[in-house]
Amino acid sequence: MGGASQLFKTDLEGLDRLIRKLRSGGYVVYGPVKQGRSWFFLEIDSVKQVDLNYVRTVLPPKKLLHPPREKLFEFKLDDGFEVSEKPTPSAVALFGVHPCDLKAIERQDEFFSQTPEDPYYLARRRNTLIIGLTCTRVDENCFCLSRGTGPEVSTGFDILITDVGNGYLLEPGSAKGLELLKSLGFQEAGDEYLEAKQKLIEELKKSFTKHMPSEGLAELAKSLLDHEVWKETAERCLSCGNCSLVCPTCYCFDVYDVLELNLRSGVRVRELDSCQLLEYAEVALGGNFRRNRFQRLRHWMLCKFGAAGGGLYSSCVGCGRCIVYCPASIDLTEVAGRLRGGG
Amino acid sequence: MKLKVGVFKFTSCSGCQVELIRMNEQLPELLNLVEFKYWAMASSKLEDGPYDLALVEGAISTPECIEEVKAIREKSRVLVALGDCAVTGGVPSIRNWMSQREAETIVYPKPGCIRSTRVYGIDEYVKVDYYLKGCPPRLENILEVFKAVILGVKPRLRQHPVCVECKFYENECLLTTYKQPCMGPVTAAGCGAICPNVGRVCEGCYGPMSDPNIASMVERLKEIGLSDDEILRKFRKYAGMSKLYREVAKL
Repeated sequence: MGGASQLFKTDLEGLDRLIRKLRSGGYVVYGPVKQGRSWFFLEIDSVKQVDLNYVRTVLPPKKLLHPPREKLFEFKLDDGFEVSEKPTPSAVALFGVHPCDLKAIERQDEFFSQTPEDPYYLARRRNTLIIGLTCTRVDENCFCLSRGTGPEVSTGFDILITDVGNGYLLEPGSAKGLELLKSLGFQEAGDEYLEAKQKLIEELKKSFTKHMPSEGLAELAKSLLDHEVWKETAERCLSCGNCSLVCPTCYCFDVYDVLELNLRSGVRVRELDSCQLLEYAEVALGGNFRRNRFQRLRHWMLCKFGAAGGGLYSSCVGCGRCIVYCPASIDLTEVAGRLRGGG
Repeated sequence: MKLKVGVFKFTSCSGCQVELIRMNEQLPELLNLVEFKYWAMASSKLEDGPYDLALVEGAISTPECIEEVKAIREKSRVLVALGDCAVTGGVPSIRNWMSQREAETIVYPKPGCIRSTRVYGIDEYVKVDYYLKGCPPRLENILEVFKAVILGVKPRLRQHPVCVECKFYENECLLTTYKQPCMGPVTAAGCGAICPNVGRVCEGCYGPMSDPNIASMVERLKEIGLSDDEILRKFRKYAGMSKLYREVAKL
Protein backbone atom coordinates (compact mmCIF):
# COMPACT_ATOMS: atom_id res chain seq x y z
CA MET A 1 0.00 0.00 0.00
CA GLY A 2 1.22 3.45 -0.84
CA GLY A 3 4.32 1.92 -2.40
CA ALA A 4 7.07 4.34 -3.18
CA SER A 5 4.72 7.31 -3.30
CA GLN A 6 5.13 10.17 -0.90
CA LEU A 7 3.10 10.10 2.28
CA PHE A 8 2.02 13.08 4.33
CA LYS A 9 0.58 13.72 7.73
CA THR A 10 -1.52 16.42 9.29
CA ASP A 11 -3.95 17.22 12.10
CA LEU A 12 -7.60 18.28 12.13
CA GLU A 13 -6.61 21.87 11.43
CA GLY A 14 -4.70 20.65 8.39
CA LEU A 15 -7.81 18.92 7.06
CA ASP A 16 -9.64 22.19 7.52
CA ARG A 17 -6.95 23.96 5.50
CA LEU A 18 -7.36 21.33 2.79
CA ILE A 19 -11.10 22.05 2.58
CA ARG A 20 -10.52 25.81 2.54
CA LYS A 21 -7.88 25.41 -0.15
CA LEU A 22 -10.28 23.41 -2.31
CA ARG A 23 -13.00 26.00 -1.84
CA SER A 24 -10.71 28.88 -2.73
CA GLY A 25 -9.66 26.84 -5.78
CA GLY A 26 -13.24 26.88 -7.02
CA TYR A 27 -14.39 23.50 -5.75
CA VAL A 28 -17.77 23.02 -4.16
CA VAL A 29 -16.87 20.62 -1.35
CA TYR A 30 -19.24 17.91 -0.11
CA GLY A 31 -18.65 15.84 3.00
CA PRO A 32 -20.53 13.44 5.31
CA VAL A 33 -22.68 15.49 7.69
CA LYS A 34 -24.98 14.09 10.35
CA GLN A 35 -28.56 15.37 10.37
CA GLY A 36 -31.21 13.71 12.48
CA ARG A 37 -30.21 10.07 12.76
CA SER A 38 -28.57 9.81 9.35
CA TRP A 39 -25.57 11.04 7.40
CA PHE A 40 -25.70 12.89 4.09
CA PHE A 41 -23.12 14.21 1.65
CA LEU A 42 -23.77 17.93 1.99
CA GLU A 43 -21.88 21.05 1.01
CA ILE A 44 -19.35 21.94 3.67
CA ASP A 45 -16.92 24.78 4.29
CA SER A 46 -15.13 23.37 7.31
CA VAL A 47 -14.07 19.99 8.65
CA LYS A 48 -16.00 20.86 11.80
CA GLN A 49 -19.27 20.12 9.96
CA VAL A 50 -18.06 16.67 8.99
CA ASP A 51 -18.46 13.48 11.01
CA LEU A 52 -15.20 11.67 10.32
CA ASN A 53 -16.55 8.63 12.16
CA TYR A 54 -19.64 8.25 10.01
CA VAL A 55 -20.73 4.84 8.84
CA ARG A 56 -22.78 5.41 5.67
CA THR A 57 -24.81 8.19 4.10
CA VAL A 58 -28.43 7.72 2.94
CA LEU A 59 -27.54 8.29 -0.71
CA PRO A 60 -24.05 7.40 -1.92
CA PRO A 61 -21.85 10.12 -3.44
CA LYS A 62 -23.24 8.84 -6.75
CA LYS A 63 -25.91 11.49 -6.27
CA LEU A 64 -23.38 14.15 -7.28
CA LEU A 65 -22.09 12.30 -10.35
CA HIS A 66 -25.24 10.55 -11.56
CA PRO A 67 -27.94 12.67 -9.91
CA PRO A 68 -31.36 11.22 -9.11
CA ARG A 69 -32.90 13.80 -11.42
CA GLU A 70 -31.17 16.13 -13.86
CA LYS A 71 -32.07 18.36 -16.77
CA LEU A 72 -30.00 17.23 -19.73
CA PHE A 73 -30.84 20.08 -22.07
CA GLU A 74 -33.49 22.57 -23.09
CA PHE A 75 -35.12 22.51 -26.49
CA LYS A 76 -37.14 24.97 -28.47
CA LEU A 77 -39.09 24.61 -31.65
CA ASP A 78 -39.05 27.88 -33.55
CA ASP A 79 -38.13 28.25 -37.20
CA GLY A 80 -35.82 25.34 -36.64
CA PHE A 81 -35.05 23.12 -33.73
CA GLU A 82 -32.88 24.67 -31.07
CA VAL A 83 -31.12 22.75 -28.31
CA SER A 84 -29.22 24.40 -25.50
CA GLU A 85 -26.89 22.23 -23.51
CA LYS A 86 -26.14 22.91 -19.92
CA PRO A 87 -22.96 24.79 -19.09
CA THR A 88 -19.98 22.76 -17.88
CA PRO A 89 -20.68 21.61 -14.35
CA SER A 90 -18.87 23.32 -11.51
CA ALA A 91 -15.89 21.58 -9.95
CA VAL A 92 -16.85 19.32 -7.06
CA ALA A 93 -14.67 17.84 -4.35
CA LEU A 94 -16.02 14.81 -2.51
CA PHE A 95 -14.48 14.79 0.94
CA GLY A 96 -14.53 11.67 3.09
CA VAL A 97 -15.63 8.95 0.69
CA HIS A 98 -15.37 5.44 2.16
CA PRO A 99 -13.68 2.56 0.26
CA CYS A 100 -16.96 0.86 -0.76
CA ASP A 101 -18.19 4.08 -2.34
CA LEU A 102 -14.79 4.71 -3.97
CA LYS A 103 -15.00 1.29 -5.61
CA ALA A 104 -18.57 1.99 -6.68
CA ILE A 105 -17.50 5.25 -8.34
CA GLU A 106 -14.75 3.36 -10.19
CA ARG A 107 -17.38 0.97 -11.55
CA GLN A 108 -19.65 3.82 -12.59
CA ASP A 109 -16.65 5.49 -14.28
CA GLU A 110 -15.97 2.35 -16.29
CA PHE A 111 -19.61 1.85 -17.14
CA PHE A 112 -20.24 5.40 -18.34
CA SER A 113 -16.92 5.46 -20.27
CA GLN A 114 -17.98 2.60 -22.51
CA THR A 115 -18.98 3.40 -26.07
CA PRO A 116 -21.16 5.34 -26.43
CA GLU A 117 -19.73 7.48 -23.68
CA ASP A 118 -22.11 9.28 -21.37
CA PRO A 119 -21.13 12.95 -21.80
CA TYR A 120 -23.20 14.15 -18.85
CA TYR A 121 -21.64 11.78 -16.35
CA LEU A 122 -18.13 12.18 -17.70
CA ALA A 123 -18.28 16.00 -17.76
CA ARG A 124 -19.09 15.96 -14.06
CA ARG A 125 -16.60 13.23 -13.26
CA ARG A 126 -13.73 15.10 -14.94
CA ASN A 127 -14.52 18.05 -12.72
CA THR A 128 -14.57 15.97 -9.55
CA LEU A 129 -11.80 15.54 -7.04
CA ILE A 130 -12.17 12.64 -4.65
CA ILE A 131 -10.79 12.52 -1.14
CA GLY A 132 -11.24 9.09 0.34
CA LEU A 133 -11.48 8.29 4.02
CA THR A 134 -10.57 4.98 5.62
CA CYS A 135 -13.41 3.82 7.84
CA THR A 136 -12.94 4.05 11.58
CA ARG A 137 -15.65 1.52 12.34
CA VAL A 138 -17.71 -1.22 10.81
CA ASP A 139 -21.37 -1.82 11.60
CA GLU A 140 -23.51 -4.96 11.40
CA ASN A 141 -24.49 -4.21 7.82
CA CYS A 142 -21.02 -3.57 6.37
CA PHE A 143 -19.59 -6.38 4.23
CA CYS A 144 -17.01 -4.78 1.94
CA LEU A 145 -14.33 -7.16 3.25
CA SER A 146 -15.96 -10.16 1.61
CA ARG A 147 -16.55 -8.20 -1.61
CA GLY A 148 -12.89 -7.19 -1.91
CA THR A 149 -13.89 -3.52 -1.89
CA GLY A 150 -12.58 -2.53 1.55
CA PRO A 151 -11.65 -1.68 4.20
CA GLU A 152 -8.34 -1.30 2.38
CA VAL A 153 -8.32 0.57 -0.89
CA SER A 154 -5.49 1.50 -3.25
CA THR A 155 -7.23 3.25 -6.14
CA GLY A 156 -10.21 5.46 -6.84
CA PHE A 157 -9.10 8.56 -4.92
CA ASP A 158 -6.96 11.64 -5.41
CA ILE A 159 -6.12 11.68 -1.72
CA LEU A 160 -6.85 9.09 0.95
CA ILE A 161 -7.17 10.17 4.57
CA THR A 162 -6.69 7.73 7.43
CA ASP A 163 -7.18 8.61 11.07
CA VAL A 164 -4.28 6.87 12.79
CA GLY A 165 -5.13 8.11 16.26
CA ASN A 166 -2.54 10.80 16.83
CA GLY A 167 -2.98 12.40 13.43
CA TYR A 168 -4.08 11.84 9.87
CA LEU A 169 -2.15 9.96 7.22
CA LEU A 170 -2.59 11.45 3.75
CA GLU A 171 -1.82 9.28 0.73
CA PRO A 172 -1.89 10.76 -2.75
CA GLY A 173 -3.67 8.66 -5.35
CA SER A 174 -3.13 10.91 -8.36
CA ALA A 175 -0.82 13.64 -9.61
CA LYS A 176 -3.50 16.17 -8.76
CA GLY A 177 -3.73 14.85 -5.23
CA LEU A 178 0.03 14.87 -4.75
CA GLU A 179 0.29 18.43 -6.01
CA LEU A 180 -2.45 19.52 -3.63
CA LEU A 181 -0.77 17.90 -0.63
CA LYS A 182 2.56 19.49 -1.50
CA SER A 183 1.02 22.89 -1.98
CA LEU A 184 -0.43 22.75 1.52
CA GLY A 185 3.00 22.22 2.97
CA PHE A 186 2.07 19.07 4.90
CA GLN A 187 4.94 17.24 6.49
CA GLU A 188 5.99 13.88 5.17
CA ALA A 189 4.77 10.94 7.22
CA GLY A 190 7.15 8.31 8.50
CA ASP A 191 6.70 4.55 8.33
CA GLU A 192 5.03 4.55 11.73
CA TYR A 193 1.99 6.17 10.11
CA LEU A 194 1.70 3.39 7.57
CA GLU A 195 2.16 0.80 10.28
CA ALA A 196 -0.53 2.43 12.38
CA LYS A 197 -2.86 2.39 9.39
CA GLN A 198 -2.13 -1.26 8.75
CA LYS A 199 -2.92 -2.06 12.36
CA LEU A 200 -6.22 -0.17 12.10
CA ILE A 201 -7.16 -2.08 8.94
CA GLU A 202 -6.40 -5.40 10.62
CA GLU A 203 -8.60 -4.42 13.55
CA LEU A 204 -11.39 -3.38 11.21
CA LYS A 205 -11.20 -6.68 9.36
CA LYS A 206 -11.88 -8.51 12.60
CA SER A 207 -15.10 -6.60 13.24
CA PHE A 208 -17.04 -7.67 10.15
CA THR A 209 -20.02 -9.88 10.95
CA LYS A 210 -21.68 -9.89 7.53
CA HIS A 211 -20.15 -11.58 4.50
CA MET A 212 -21.08 -12.17 0.87
CA PRO A 213 -18.08 -13.58 -0.98
CA SER A 214 -18.05 -13.07 -4.74
CA GLU A 215 -16.45 -16.39 -5.63
CA GLY A 216 -18.77 -18.34 -7.89
CA LEU A 217 -21.82 -16.39 -6.75
CA ALA A 218 -22.79 -15.05 -10.18
CA GLU A 219 -22.66 -18.49 -11.79
CA LEU A 220 -24.46 -20.10 -8.88
CA ALA A 221 -27.27 -17.53 -8.91
CA LYS A 222 -27.70 -17.91 -12.66
CA SER A 223 -28.04 -21.66 -12.28
CA LEU A 224 -30.65 -21.33 -9.51
CA LEU A 225 -33.30 -19.15 -11.13
CA ASP A 226 -36.03 -21.44 -9.81
CA HIS A 227 -34.73 -21.56 -6.23
CA GLU A 228 -37.51 -21.11 -3.68
CA VAL A 229 -35.67 -18.22 -2.01
CA TRP A 230 -36.76 -15.80 -4.75
CA LYS A 231 -40.49 -16.28 -4.27
CA GLU A 232 -40.19 -16.54 -0.50
CA THR A 233 -38.29 -13.28 -0.25
CA ALA A 234 -40.64 -11.58 -2.71
CA GLU A 235 -43.54 -12.23 -0.35
CA ARG A 236 -41.98 -9.62 1.92
CA CYS A 237 -40.69 -7.32 -0.83
CA LEU A 238 -42.68 -4.09 -1.19
CA SER A 239 -41.25 -3.24 -4.64
CA CYS A 240 -40.63 0.22 -3.25
CA GLY A 241 -37.33 0.57 -5.08
CA ASN A 242 -35.40 1.78 -2.04
CA CYS A 243 -32.69 -0.88 -2.43
CA SER A 244 -31.75 0.22 -5.91
CA LEU A 245 -32.23 3.93 -5.30
CA VAL A 246 -29.70 3.94 -2.45
CA CYS A 247 -27.32 1.55 -4.21
CA PRO A 248 -23.98 3.11 -5.22
CA THR A 249 -23.63 0.88 -8.30
CA CYS A 250 -27.18 0.97 -9.71
CA TYR A 251 -27.05 3.20 -12.77
CA CYS A 252 -30.34 2.55 -14.58
CA PHE A 253 -32.17 5.68 -15.61
CA ASP A 254 -35.21 6.89 -17.49
CA VAL A 255 -35.32 9.82 -19.92
CA TYR A 256 -38.37 11.92 -20.68
CA ASP A 257 -39.38 15.34 -21.97
CA VAL A 258 -41.29 17.97 -20.06
CA LEU A 259 -43.01 20.43 -22.36
CA GLU A 260 -43.87 23.98 -21.43
CA LEU A 261 -47.47 25.04 -21.86
CA ASN A 262 -46.52 26.79 -25.08
CA LEU A 263 -45.94 23.26 -26.44
CA ARG A 264 -42.89 24.59 -28.32
CA SER A 265 -40.17 24.44 -25.72
CA GLY A 266 -39.23 22.19 -22.88
CA VAL A 267 -36.55 20.24 -21.09
CA ARG A 268 -35.26 16.72 -21.40
CA VAL A 269 -34.96 15.12 -18.01
CA ARG A 270 -33.12 12.05 -16.89
CA GLU A 271 -33.87 10.42 -13.59
CA LEU A 272 -32.92 7.28 -11.76
CA ASP A 273 -35.14 4.34 -12.46
CA SER A 274 -35.47 1.12 -10.52
CA CYS A 275 -35.90 -2.43 -11.80
CA GLN A 276 -38.06 -3.07 -8.71
CA LEU A 277 -40.85 -0.94 -10.14
CA LEU A 278 -43.56 -2.58 -12.24
CA GLU A 279 -43.24 0.10 -14.94
CA TYR A 280 -39.51 -0.53 -15.46
CA ALA A 281 -39.91 -3.51 -17.79
CA GLU A 282 -43.18 -2.38 -19.33
CA VAL A 283 -43.33 -2.11 -23.09
CA ALA A 284 -45.92 -1.00 -25.63
CA LEU A 285 -49.47 -2.34 -25.33
CA GLY A 286 -48.91 -3.12 -21.66
CA GLY A 287 -46.49 -5.99 -22.12
CA ASN A 288 -44.12 -6.51 -19.21
CA PHE A 289 -41.04 -8.71 -19.00
CA ARG A 290 -41.02 -8.78 -15.21
CA ARG A 291 -44.61 -8.54 -14.13
CA ASN A 292 -44.17 -10.71 -11.06
CA ARG A 293 -42.55 -9.25 -7.98
CA PHE A 294 -40.18 -12.20 -7.54
CA GLN A 295 -38.86 -11.66 -11.06
CA ARG A 296 -37.99 -8.07 -10.25
CA LEU A 297 -36.42 -8.92 -6.92
CA ARG A 298 -34.46 -11.75 -8.52
CA HIS A 299 -33.33 -9.50 -11.33
CA TRP A 300 -31.93 -6.88 -8.95
CA MET A 301 -30.15 -9.42 -6.80
CA LEU A 302 -28.68 -11.20 -9.83
CA CYS A 303 -27.39 -7.81 -10.91
CA LYS A 304 -25.79 -7.20 -7.51
CA PHE A 305 -24.30 -10.71 -7.60
CA GLY A 306 -22.68 -9.77 -10.93
CA ALA A 307 -24.92 -12.11 -12.92
CA ALA A 308 -26.98 -9.60 -14.90
CA GLY A 309 -26.17 -7.54 -17.98
CA GLY A 310 -24.24 -5.02 -15.93
CA GLY A 311 -21.71 -7.64 -14.88
CA LEU A 312 -19.13 -6.22 -12.53
CA TYR A 313 -20.14 -2.61 -13.26
CA SER A 314 -23.34 -2.86 -11.27
CA SER A 315 -22.33 -5.53 -8.78
CA CYS A 316 -22.39 -5.12 -5.02
CA VAL A 317 -19.63 -3.31 -3.11
CA GLY A 318 -20.95 -4.25 0.32
CA CYS A 319 -21.97 -0.81 1.59
CA GLY A 320 -25.08 -2.23 3.30
CA ARG A 321 -27.45 0.56 2.26
CA CYS A 322 -30.03 -1.74 0.65
CA ILE A 323 -30.26 -3.71 3.88
CA VAL A 324 -30.56 -0.63 6.10
CA TYR A 325 -33.23 1.03 3.94
CA CYS A 326 -35.35 -2.00 3.12
CA PRO A 327 -38.66 -1.51 4.99
CA ALA A 328 -39.14 -5.29 4.83
CA SER A 329 -35.68 -6.13 6.27
CA ILE A 330 -34.63 -8.04 3.16
CA ASP A 331 -30.93 -8.84 3.25
CA LEU A 332 -29.24 -9.84 -0.01
CA THR A 333 -26.39 -11.50 1.88
CA GLU A 334 -28.95 -13.88 3.42
CA VAL A 335 -30.33 -14.65 -0.03
CA ALA A 336 -26.79 -15.34 -1.27
CA GLY A 337 -26.29 -17.62 1.74
CA ARG A 338 -29.48 -19.53 0.91
CA LEU A 339 -28.30 -20.00 -2.67
CA ARG A 340 -25.04 -21.40 -1.35
CA GLY A 341 -27.05 -23.93 0.55
CA GLY A 342 -26.94 -22.39 3.99
CA GLY A 343 -30.46 -22.72 5.37
CA MET B 1 -58.75 24.99 -32.57
CA LYS B 2 -58.82 25.25 -28.83
CA LEU B 3 -59.60 22.24 -26.71
CA LYS B 4 -63.14 22.46 -25.33
CA VAL B 5 -62.98 21.68 -21.64
CA GLY B 6 -65.64 21.06 -19.03
CA VAL B 7 -64.95 20.90 -15.30
CA PHE B 8 -67.59 19.13 -13.19
CA LYS B 9 -68.04 18.45 -9.53
CA PHE B 10 -69.80 15.78 -7.51
CA THR B 11 -69.29 14.82 -3.84
CA SER B 12 -66.05 16.53 -2.86
CA CYS B 13 -64.52 19.55 -1.15
CA SER B 14 -63.63 21.38 -4.41
CA GLY B 15 -59.97 21.35 -3.45
CA CYS B 16 -58.99 19.78 -6.76
CA GLN B 17 -60.59 22.64 -8.67
CA VAL B 18 -58.83 25.06 -6.35
CA GLU B 19 -55.55 23.37 -7.34
CA LEU B 20 -56.50 24.06 -10.96
CA ILE B 21 -57.28 27.70 -10.22
CA ARG B 22 -53.99 27.97 -8.35
CA MET B 23 -52.10 27.83 -11.65
CA ASN B 24 -52.11 31.65 -11.62
CA GLU B 25 -49.47 32.88 -14.06
CA GLN B 26 -49.76 29.75 -16.18
CA LEU B 27 -53.45 30.36 -16.78
CA PRO B 28 -53.03 32.82 -19.72
CA GLU B 29 -50.76 30.27 -21.42
CA LEU B 30 -53.26 27.50 -20.86
CA LEU B 31 -56.04 29.71 -22.21
CA ASN B 32 -54.17 29.88 -25.51
CA LEU B 33 -54.71 26.16 -25.78
CA VAL B 34 -58.04 25.49 -24.15
CA GLU B 35 -61.43 27.05 -23.74
CA PHE B 36 -63.35 26.36 -20.56
CA LYS B 37 -66.90 25.75 -21.77
CA TYR B 38 -68.20 24.66 -18.42
CA TRP B 39 -66.55 25.43 -15.10
CA ALA B 40 -69.00 26.67 -12.50
CA MET B 41 -66.31 27.61 -10.02
CA ALA B 42 -64.65 29.96 -12.51
CA SER B 43 -67.49 31.37 -14.60
CA SER B 44 -71.28 31.64 -14.49
CA LYS B 45 -71.37 31.25 -18.26
CA LEU B 46 -71.97 27.54 -18.66
CA GLU B 47 -72.10 25.98 -22.11
CA ASP B 48 -73.33 22.55 -22.97
CA GLY B 49 -71.06 19.96 -24.67
CA PRO B 50 -69.66 18.24 -26.56
CA TYR B 51 -66.36 18.57 -24.74
CA ASP B 52 -62.94 17.42 -25.87
CA LEU B 53 -61.91 16.97 -22.27
CA ALA B 54 -63.99 16.60 -19.12
CA LEU B 55 -62.36 16.89 -15.72
CA VAL B 56 -64.62 15.32 -13.16
CA GLU B 57 -64.09 16.02 -9.49
CA GLY B 58 -65.91 14.22 -6.71
CA ALA B 59 -67.39 10.89 -5.76
CA ILE B 60 -70.73 9.53 -6.90
CA SER B 61 -73.11 9.34 -3.96
CA THR B 62 -76.67 9.92 -5.17
CA PRO B 63 -78.87 8.53 -7.93
CA GLU B 64 -78.80 11.99 -9.59
CA CYS B 65 -74.98 11.93 -9.69
CA ILE B 66 -75.09 8.61 -11.52
CA GLU B 67 -77.28 10.04 -14.26
CA GLU B 68 -75.23 13.23 -14.51
CA VAL B 69 -71.85 11.54 -14.77
CA LYS B 70 -73.19 9.24 -17.49
CA ALA B 71 -74.47 12.28 -19.39
CA ILE B 72 -71.07 13.97 -19.07
CA ARG B 73 -69.36 10.85 -20.37
CA GLU B 74 -71.56 10.83 -23.44
CA LYS B 75 -70.67 14.42 -24.21
CA SER B 76 -66.91 14.05 -23.68
CA ARG B 77 -64.16 12.66 -25.88
CA VAL B 78 -61.66 12.26 -23.02
CA LEU B 79 -62.85 11.92 -19.44
CA VAL B 80 -60.49 12.38 -16.52
CA ALA B 81 -61.12 11.56 -12.86
CA LEU B 82 -59.78 14.62 -11.07
CA GLY B 83 -58.62 13.68 -7.59
CA ASP B 84 -59.19 10.86 -5.11
CA CYS B 85 -62.96 11.30 -4.72
CA ALA B 86 -63.49 10.82 -8.44
CA VAL B 87 -60.80 8.12 -8.62
CA THR B 88 -61.94 5.86 -5.77
CA GLY B 89 -64.51 7.71 -3.69
CA GLY B 90 -61.80 9.32 -1.57
CA VAL B 91 -62.43 10.69 1.91
CA PRO B 92 -66.26 10.77 1.49
CA SER B 93 -66.17 7.00 1.00
CA ILE B 94 -65.30 6.41 4.66
CA ARG B 95 -69.02 6.51 5.30
CA ASN B 96 -69.37 3.24 3.39
CA TRP B 97 -68.23 1.50 6.55
CA MET B 98 -71.27 2.60 8.52
CA SER B 99 -74.92 2.20 7.79
CA GLN B 100 -76.63 4.73 5.55
CA ARG B 101 -78.98 5.62 8.40
CA GLU B 102 -76.12 6.23 10.82
CA ALA B 103 -74.28 8.50 8.39
CA GLU B 104 -77.39 10.45 7.51
CA THR B 105 -78.44 11.11 11.09
CA ILE B 106 -74.95 12.33 12.06
CA VAL B 107 -75.14 15.05 9.40
CA TYR B 108 -78.79 15.93 8.88
CA PRO B 109 -81.34 16.73 11.57
CA LYS B 110 -84.14 15.50 9.29
CA PRO B 111 -82.69 12.94 6.92
CA GLY B 112 -86.08 12.08 5.44
CA CYS B 113 -85.35 13.68 2.07
CA ILE B 114 -81.81 12.28 1.72
CA ARG B 115 -81.41 9.72 -1.05
CA SER B 116 -77.80 8.74 -1.10
CA THR B 117 -76.08 5.61 -2.34
CA ARG B 118 -72.87 3.89 -1.44
CA VAL B 119 -69.97 6.21 -2.36
CA TYR B 120 -67.95 5.23 -5.41
CA GLY B 121 -65.37 6.69 -7.72
CA ILE B 122 -66.75 7.62 -11.11
CA ASP B 123 -65.44 4.55 -12.91
CA GLU B 124 -68.02 2.48 -11.10
CA TYR B 125 -70.42 4.01 -13.65
CA VAL B 126 -68.45 5.39 -16.60
CA LYS B 127 -65.27 4.64 -18.51
CA VAL B 128 -62.40 6.83 -17.32
CA ASP B 129 -59.52 7.63 -19.66
CA TYR B 130 -57.02 9.01 -17.14
CA TYR B 131 -56.86 9.08 -13.37
CA LEU B 132 -55.40 12.08 -11.58
CA LYS B 133 -54.74 10.65 -8.15
CA GLY B 134 -54.20 12.77 -5.08
CA CYS B 135 -55.97 14.85 -2.51
CA PRO B 136 -55.57 17.11 -4.38
CA PRO B 137 -53.60 16.07 -7.48
CA ARG B 138 -50.55 18.18 -7.99
CA LEU B 139 -50.97 21.00 -10.51
CA GLU B 140 -48.10 19.78 -12.69
CA ASN B 141 -49.89 16.44 -13.09
CA ILE B 142 -53.12 18.18 -14.07
CA LEU B 143 -51.23 20.24 -16.65
CA GLU B 144 -49.52 17.07 -17.89
CA VAL B 145 -52.96 15.71 -18.77
CA PHE B 146 -53.94 18.91 -20.61
CA LYS B 147 -50.73 18.79 -22.64
CA ALA B 148 -51.04 15.07 -23.38
CA VAL B 149 -54.66 15.36 -24.54
CA ILE B 150 -53.78 18.25 -26.85
CA LEU B 151 -50.82 16.35 -28.28
CA GLY B 152 -52.69 13.05 -28.44
CA VAL B 153 -50.13 11.19 -26.32
CA LYS B 154 -50.34 9.23 -23.09
CA PRO B 155 -49.75 11.45 -20.05
CA ARG B 156 -46.77 10.61 -17.86
CA LEU B 157 -48.40 9.98 -14.49
CA ARG B 158 -46.34 8.15 -11.91
CA GLN B 159 -47.68 4.87 -10.62
CA HIS B 160 -44.58 3.82 -8.68
CA PRO B 161 -44.40 4.41 -4.90
CA VAL B 162 -43.71 7.63 -3.02
CA CYS B 163 -40.43 6.05 -1.80
CA VAL B 164 -38.93 6.77 -5.23
CA GLU B 165 -39.52 10.50 -5.02
CA CYS B 166 -38.63 10.47 -1.33
CA LYS B 167 -35.21 9.00 -2.12
CA PHE B 168 -34.71 11.59 -4.86
CA TYR B 169 -34.91 14.19 -2.10
CA GLU B 170 -32.72 12.04 0.17
CA ASN B 171 -35.11 12.25 3.08
CA GLU B 172 -34.40 10.22 6.16
CA CYS B 173 -36.56 7.12 5.95
CA LEU B 174 -39.41 7.60 8.41
CA LEU B 175 -40.37 3.93 8.28
CA THR B 176 -36.99 2.23 8.61
CA THR B 177 -35.05 4.85 10.59
CA TYR B 178 -37.82 6.27 12.78
CA LYS B 179 -40.30 3.34 12.84
CA GLN B 180 -43.13 5.69 11.91
CA PRO B 181 -46.19 4.41 10.02
CA CYS B 182 -45.35 5.85 6.61
CA MET B 183 -47.57 4.64 3.76
CA GLY B 184 -44.94 5.55 1.16
CA PRO B 185 -44.10 1.97 0.10
CA VAL B 186 -47.65 1.26 -1.13
CA THR B 187 -48.75 4.75 -2.21
CA ALA B 188 -48.58 6.09 -5.75
CA ALA B 189 -46.12 8.91 -6.26
CA GLY B 190 -46.71 12.15 -8.11
CA CYS B 191 -46.94 14.41 -5.08
CA GLY B 192 -43.18 14.98 -4.95
CA ALA B 193 -43.01 13.33 -1.50
CA ILE B 194 -44.22 16.59 0.01
CA CYS B 195 -45.09 15.12 3.42
CA PRO B 196 -41.83 13.20 4.03
CA ASN B 197 -39.99 16.29 2.75
CA VAL B 198 -41.16 18.08 5.89
CA GLY B 199 -40.68 15.09 8.17
CA ARG B 200 -44.27 13.86 8.10
CA VAL B 201 -45.28 10.33 7.16
CA CYS B 202 -47.02 9.69 3.86
CA GLU B 203 -50.75 9.50 4.59
CA GLY B 204 -51.41 7.60 1.40
CA CYS B 205 -53.45 10.31 -0.29
CA TYR B 206 -52.55 9.23 -3.84
CA GLY B 207 -54.03 5.81 -3.19
CA PRO B 208 -52.39 2.51 -4.13
CA MET B 209 -49.35 2.34 -6.39
CA SER B 210 -49.29 0.07 -9.44
CA ASP B 211 -48.44 -3.17 -7.64
CA PRO B 212 -48.63 -2.70 -3.87
CA ASN B 213 -47.63 -5.55 -1.59
CA ILE B 214 -50.45 -4.96 0.85
CA ALA B 215 -49.89 -8.05 2.98
CA SER B 216 -46.27 -7.09 3.58
CA MET B 217 -47.20 -3.48 4.33
CA VAL B 218 -49.69 -4.66 6.94
CA GLU B 219 -46.89 -6.72 8.53
CA ARG B 220 -44.54 -3.71 8.55
CA LEU B 221 -47.19 -1.56 10.26
CA LYS B 222 -47.78 -4.29 12.84
CA GLU B 223 -44.05 -4.53 13.48
CA ILE B 224 -43.88 -0.90 14.47
CA GLY B 225 -46.80 -1.35 16.83
CA LEU B 226 -49.96 -0.32 15.01
CA SER B 227 -53.17 -2.04 16.06
CA ASP B 228 -55.38 -3.83 13.55
CA ASP B 229 -57.85 -0.98 13.81
CA GLU B 230 -55.20 1.66 13.14
CA ILE B 231 -54.02 -0.30 10.10
CA LEU B 232 -57.56 -0.58 8.83
CA ARG B 233 -58.00 3.18 9.04
CA LYS B 234 -54.70 3.76 7.23
CA PHE B 235 -56.01 1.90 4.20
CA ARG B 236 -59.55 3.26 4.39
CA LYS B 237 -58.65 6.89 4.76
CA TYR B 238 -58.23 7.87 1.12
CA ALA B 239 -58.67 4.83 -1.06
CA GLY B 240 -60.52 2.11 0.84
CA MET B 241 -62.85 1.69 -2.13
CA SER B 242 -60.04 1.19 -4.63
CA LYS B 243 -60.11 -2.32 -6.01
CA LEU B 244 -56.63 -2.98 -4.62
CA TYR B 245 -57.51 -1.92 -1.06
CA ARG B 246 -61.06 -3.25 -0.72
CA GLU B 247 -59.94 -6.49 0.83
CA VAL B 248 -57.56 -4.99 3.39
CA ALA B 249 -60.08 -2.22 4.12
CA LYS B 250 -62.65 -4.96 4.83
CA LEU B 251 -65.39 -3.68 2.57
